[in-house]
Amino acid sequence: MKVPLRFLLNGREVALEVQPHARLLDALRDYAGLTGTKEGCGEGECGACTVLVDGRAVNSCLYPALEAEGCAVLTVEGLVSAQGGLSELQQAFVEEGGAQCGFCTPGMVMSAAALLSENAAPSDDEIREALVGNLCRCTGYTQIVASIRAAAQKAGKAQS
Amino acid sequence: MNEFRFIGVDTARPDAPDKVSGRAQYIHDITLPGMLWGAIRFSDHAHARIRHIDTSEAEKLPGVEAVITAYNTPEVRIGFLRDNFALKRDKVRQFRDEIAAVAARDPETAREAAALIRVEYEPLPGVFSPEEALVEGAPLVHETDARGRARKDNIVPVRFAHHSGDLEAGKRASRHVVEGEYRVPLIQQSCMGTAGCIASFDARGNLTLVAKTQIPFLAQKDFNRALGALGLEGRNTRVVVPALGGGFGTGLDTHAYEYIAMLLAWRTGRPVKILYNREEEFAFLSPRQSASARIRQGCDENGRLTFREIEVVQDNGAYTSWGATFPSVMLVPATSLYRVQNVSFESKIVYTNNTYCQAMRGYGNPEITWPIESSIDELAELAGIDPFDMRLLNCNQPGETTPMGLKITTCGLKECLERTAASLDWKEKRGRQDAKRRGVGMAGVINVAGGGKIYRSDGSGIILKPDDYGNVNVSYGGVEMGQGLHSALALTVAEALGIRPENVIVNQTDTASCPWDVGTHASRGAFMACNAAVLAARKLKARLLEWAAEIYPQEVEEALARARRHSSFKEPDFDWRDAARRGQFELANGILTVTGAPELPELQVDFGRLLRAVHFRRQGPGTTFAEDAFYEPPTELPDWDKGIGNMSATYAFGAQGVEVEVDEETGEVKILRLVAVHDVGRVLNPQTLKGQIYGALAQGIGYAMYEQVLTDKGRVLNPGFTDYKLPTACEMGFPIDVQLVETNDPEGPFGAKGVGEPGLVPTAPAIANAIFDAIGVRIRDLPITPEKILLALRQRR
Amino acid sequence: MAYDYHRSGSLAEAFALAARDDSALIAGGTDLLVALRKKKRAAPARLVSIRSLPELTAIEAGPGLLRIGACAPLTEILAQPVVRERLPALAQALAVIGSRQIRNVATLGGNLCNASPGADSAPPLLVYDATVELAGTGGRRELPLSEFFLGPGRTALRPGEIMTAVCVPLPVPSAQSVFQRRSRVAMDLATASLAVNYELQGGVLKSVRLAAGAVAPTPLRLRAAESWLEGRAVNEETLAKAVELARGEIKPIDDLRGSAWYRSELIGVFLSRAFRNRKEGDA
Repeated sequence: MKVPLRFLLNGREVALEVQPHARLLDALRDYAGLTGTKEGCGEGECGACTVLVDGRAVNSCLYPALEAEGCAVLTVEGLVSAQGGLSELQQAFVEEGGAQCGFCTPGMVMSAAALLSENAAPSDDEIREALVGNLCRCTGYTQIVASIRAAAQKAGKAQS
Repeated sequence: MNEFRFIGVDTARPDAPDKVSGRAQYIHDITLPGMLWGAIRFSDHAHARIRHIDTSEAEKLPGVEAVITAYNTPEVRIGFLRDNFALKRDKVRQFRDEIAAVAARDPETAREAAALIRVEYEPLPGVFSPEEALVEGAPLVHETDARGRARKDNIVPVRFAHHSGDLEAGKRASRHVVEGEYRVPLIQQSCMGTAGCIASFDARGNLTLVAKTQIPFLAQKDFNRALGALGLEGRNTRVVVPALGGGFGTGLDTHAYEYIAMLLAWRTGRPVKILYNREEEFAFLSPRQSASARIRQGCDENGRLTFREIEVVQDNGAYTSWGATFPSVMLVPATSLYRVQNVSFESKIVYTNNTYCQAMRGYGNPEITWPIESSIDELAELAGIDPFDMRLLNCNQPGETTPMGLKITTCGLKECLERTAASLDWKEKRGRQDAKRRGVGMAGVINVAGGGKIYRSDGSGIILKPDDYGNVNVSYGGVEMGQGLHSALALTVAEALGIRPENVIVNQTDTASCPWDVGTHASRGAFMACNAAVLAARKLKARLLEWAAEIYPQEVEEALARARRHSSFKEPDFDWRDAARRGQFELANGILTVTGAPELPELQVDFGRLLRAVHFRRQGPGTTFAEDAFYEPPTELPDWDKGIGNMSATYAFGAQGVEVEVDEETGEVKILRLVAVHDVGRVLNPQTLKGQIYGALAQGIGYAMYEQVLTDKGRVLNPGFTDYKLPTACEMGFPIDVQLVETNDPEGPFGAKGVGEPGLVPTAPAIANAIFDAIGVRIRDLPITPEKILLALRQRR
Repeated sequence: MAYDYHRSGSLAEAFALAARDDSALIAGGTDLLVALRKKKRAAPARLVSIRSLPELTAIEAGPGLLRIGACAPLTEILAQPVVRERLPALAQALAVIGSRQIRNVATLGGNLCNASPGADSAPPLLVYDATVELAGTGGRRELPLSEFFLGPGRTALRPGEIMTAVCVPLPVPSAQSVFQRRSRVAMDLATASLAVNYELQGGVLKSVRLAAGAVAPTPLRLRAAESWLEGRAVNEETLAKAVELARGEIKPIDDLRGSAWYRSELIGVFLSRAFRNRKEGDA
């Protein structure tokens, strides 16, 4: 028996019918067809499924879909502008080599987006602390941290 | 001064925009029309006879389309020794053994049905370590070999050995000798994207396999053989590779789950997808092999190495995959890391009822560099010599041939060691053992860097196909798995052909459209691909420039005629016709012109325009272009029994050092900084090259300090990231100084060497050596946990 | 593991549903959903979500007391200045529970009711003498946290009872507290942890509270060591005896995070470091 679920997905109202036990991750990938959000472990350790719910980073693999009712959910697809252009943060990941195999990247980008919305000029230690729930096996994190640092610096320059 | 336009310049990867926006398509993201989901029923015992399999409950579950076992499918043997089966019939030899499989409408139903299958076993005593398995009269994991001949023991019939010089003379010449036994654990490659595949058949019986593989063409060969078992001799397999969520060696062999997907797809006539979850990835995929090594090394009174003697024992697990051939790579450092004349190397690979093992980055090299480089420090300590000085004294040199017959062309080891020492303030920091308990340590590495010949061809083919719009499509059979292969290819083709990197489009790897490649492993991807690309680009460029003689004057005349309509136009003060007559054409940056021409648009022909003008020729038949090339490196397939043969076209060298601080109350090690200096031949793309080194370092840190698959009687105890710990961004929060030494190798593309693996290799011994420098305690088994350090400190007192 | 999912609309309804055999409560779900997925726990017919009930998520600072709704997410608790300023050991502990993603949904009540021996929020709450409010259709009661844990995964909650709040008396300004913990990597469950709260007056220890995590079937107060330290001056001999007593009170096990021996060693180090080099007036 499926049940209705309505929420704001990347700024647009969506109405889905989901299994009551569906995870937000399932709602996004299997019901809404947005496969950018990845499942890396299913137990909240790797962070590949990170999305923002009402501005806060959560593991969508541990988030009951029905808890998103009426919420604003932002996924990696939602960072891209309506014209298809990458956000500054995504562009920084491109330019600084923040993505290798790319499987952790959507989650990394979303954790970084949450961090920068709270702290526009994080230190490297703060960036690393914010990524503790996002595992990467390819990059050793160096160029991911550099990507986020570069995005913050660019945004800082744009403001001043 | 960079003599190249694109080579050596930081360039964003072509695959990055799709990856940062969630558009890259991994096996997880692909669904085919009518697709079913497969799930596997694995063994409940490490070693048991299968008495009975009851699939009736599973078959009754709504949504189940097929249930298969070895009893209702043809026998499909797998592995290079053919000692494994897609589905097990009489006996299970590990918890991971596949007994039955289900195809159903969704993954939950498939897993539920798999759990409903009832299996009756007769448990057998098992062997869970090489020591147990080698005892006289130990239970046999395999009673017979693949040909049905009786086996007498649990030793895997593969041999890798080396004996050169005069070991006894070397020992007699030694003033100092050290001996030690070192261990490395079972670890999991831990790709962020788990394993999976989709198998589907066409109506003629041809198989298409969308596979997370690093060996599309060897997989094609394996699967074509399996099609024979289905009665489909002569039918073909097409292997298509999606975006890979990491590889690290997991894709170096074909897997039972892939054959099971094939069997289910054949049975149901529908595409079947099998996708491992993380727990399955840990418990049912082949991890990196555990091993122990006994090493003896000696030196004379000056510190010059006199001999090296190594015996390796590896726990193979229940079946044989490429993990069993790690010693083939161990031979390289065993015989050739530093100059040593009298070398003995023996290895023993042992069947057990543990999970069977596979490749991972470095493939035997970290396993053996760990004892060698730890032992060098032990020897230096005994001889009273600074370990850095001992390494320099015995340093490899360009032009030498090592005991294994490796022909060292370029060698930057000395510079790597010196720069590592300089960056660490070695002379000032080493040997102080001050109150802060800080210490420094280093280790070196040699690694194959121009392929690694383990198969009768180590080559790579490539096709370059320009289109009408100035783009060049590249079909290459190797695999982009995150390492930056496509970036290296784009830069290489652009540089060699004279176009822009953004106009190089690397196609999806597909056995139907790409030429043969042996596989993406052994740090060979960029070296092979780019060498092949340079060859093909030269051929293509020569053909294009032949056409320029006809096209260039025609296009320029036309452009000039158009320009003359503007009153302000001035005729170029340059005899371009003469230059064109002499054939002085240049193609660079996507623009065809003639030597010495001023930068006027009228004298420049865009690459796309050139292609169109040839294709849609004004008079006479036009043509399109495509050029291929096959690069086979000048290497030898070694004689494994003797351990001799120049298996790679060139060798990478490097040195890494760390400064650590040890908490003597808790045993914790804090890495204060890390230095990695690598001889990379030539930097193709600094960004992706450093990315490879940073990533390999993190895997090296994980191997050194955190990671271990724990098992109890063959059962994996920590199958997930909650219990198996990878380094997080916080563990990697120390400063890292990566330095690249360019030795410009004559066999490398633009001088480049393969560099995918070396960063992992010396990380662990450098850390262990630094810990010894800090507190005088030597740890000989990985991972180096705080608990082991504290225990060693207590035992010392 | 299909189940129905019901977002409870009121505390009264939650009490009624919590009493039913076919239902289980879910708050942040970061432990429960993993346990269900790994089949470490049988799926009920219905999960009753209480995470959005305002009565359970409020955080109220009264005079001398902080009342934290059981379903307040850890991030919300950490954002309270009073927690950072007056309850540093709790802040230190909450900051290392899981990742940001986990802390944004995981609740304090969930961390306690899950009753993991290594629950990081428990040792600091124990040394602050926290109490828990438990309520159900049968009424409301308060229990010292030290009486709440009965064993791994077992608590004093009666069938149908819900933890509604955690009440933490604010320590006197002269009190000093610290939380120490080790884990294999930053994102990991604790190998061992220790929270300490005490006052130093005239060179003598007062109101000493010690509580350890991941070294016994439940988080526990180290009362013998506390009593020994009460009224004594901090010196190496005093601490050595306290360490010996503390090690006698814990019951660590060997597991993949560390051996019993190593855990016991860590507790000793934590305890010594909590007091060593501390002076009156140190925060």
